[in-house]
Amino acid sequence: METQSEEQAVTKPADSGGEGGPPQVAGAQAARPEDRMTLLLRLRAQTKQQLLEYKSMVDANEEKTPEQIMQEKQIEAKIEELENEVEEAKTAFEMKKLALDSVLMDNMKQILNLNKLIMKSQQETWDLEEKLLDVRKKRLQLKQASERKLLEIQTEKNKQKDDLDSMENSDKIKAIQQNLETEIQITTVIQHVFQNLILGSKVNWAEDPALKETVLQLEKNLTMI
Amino acid sequence: MSALRPLDKLPGLNTATILLVGTEDALLQQLADSMLKADCTSELKVHLARSLPLPCSVNRPRIDLIVFVVNLHSKLSLQSVEESLCHLDAAFFLGKVAFLATGAGRDSHCSIHRNTVVKLAHTYRSPLLFCDLEIEDFRAAMAQRLVRLLQICAGHVPGVSALNLLSLMRGSENPSLEDL
Repeated sequence: METQSEEQAVTKPADSGGEGGPPQVAGAQAARPEDRMTLLLRLRAQTKQQLLEYKSMVDANEEKTPEQIMQEKQIEAKIEELENEVEEAKTAFEMKKLALDSVLMDNMKQILNLNKLIMKSQQETWDLEEKLLDVRKKRLQLKQASERKLLEIQTEKNKQKDDLDSMENSDKIKAIQQNLETEIQITTVIQHVFQNLILGSKVNWAEDPALKETVLQLEKNLTMI
Repeated sequence: MSALRPLDKLPGLNTATILLVGTEDALLQQLADSMLKADCTSELKVHLARSLPLPCSVNRPRIDLIVFVVNLHSKLSLQSVEESLCHLDAAFFLGKVAFLATGAGRDSHCSIHRNTVVKLAHTYRSPLLFCDLEIEDFRAAMAQRLVRLLQICAGHVPGVSALNLLSLMRGSENPSLEDL
């Protein structure tokens, strides 16, 4: 006797994008194509998995089941055999996975080492650049110091020149110069007077060496001294 | 009134369907509600039934997981479950069936011995889960677990299939089961 079985169905709509939460507001419009992408990728993975399951069922159904009616114990023995085979296949798979993982590990370790080397070299480069910068700074400082010194020398020179010029323009010098000029004029006049005296006296001054010397001396132009 | 077959229909896109079979309507409804509240990226469909076979008139999607709920307090539930199991296609027992025993917390009310359900699960080579569906927190945790199980059975998790999961779960079972 079969009882009338009741059936009720309850459903729940999916959260697109996979995050359980309130529905997205208008501000998240930019995120929707990405959600669609993730949804599509998820559907693709699901369909792949389901296809795999169907394929394996088809393959399993192609196997021939034994026609004879075997005893229960034999059936159980066969079941155990098959289970053992499955276990062996699984362990072989696990070993392969471990081997691959170890290779992967090696690669990762190498990558890590290389990264460390890169970081060290970068650090060294940084230090050298800093040193270069220091040397350049020092050179700049030295240049500036030498510039200052030269400037000082120039100002000193200029000052000296100015002093000299100012000195020349001072009144004392002028007075002395005036005096000198008057003296020179007086002496020149005296020279001319003596010259004319000696020449006027009509003496032969070439014969007497002392007289000759005096006359020649009188010829000296005092302004040239 | 034909037997349920696991792969006779094409799966719905992003949909996973679970069938809860048991005599305790209130418990099933509560469990269904907890499952629908759980976090899941796929669409969930929960069908409830008192016993198999299901009426053919209803157009239902492909069922990915069947959970038989046995209440340890009542012998009727165990009987009904055992009767329903005959109407199931053998292909279902490759990972798409699970047994859920409830009511083990209150030992004084238990009329079915724990070992009975254990033997039942062992005979059908299916996983057995224990949960007190009356307690809110346990129910929520079990609902989460069932949702994950359902996702794998529906093929939504790449790399793990129902059969794979079955052998994985069996590996962690108590080895003393073999003595039964």
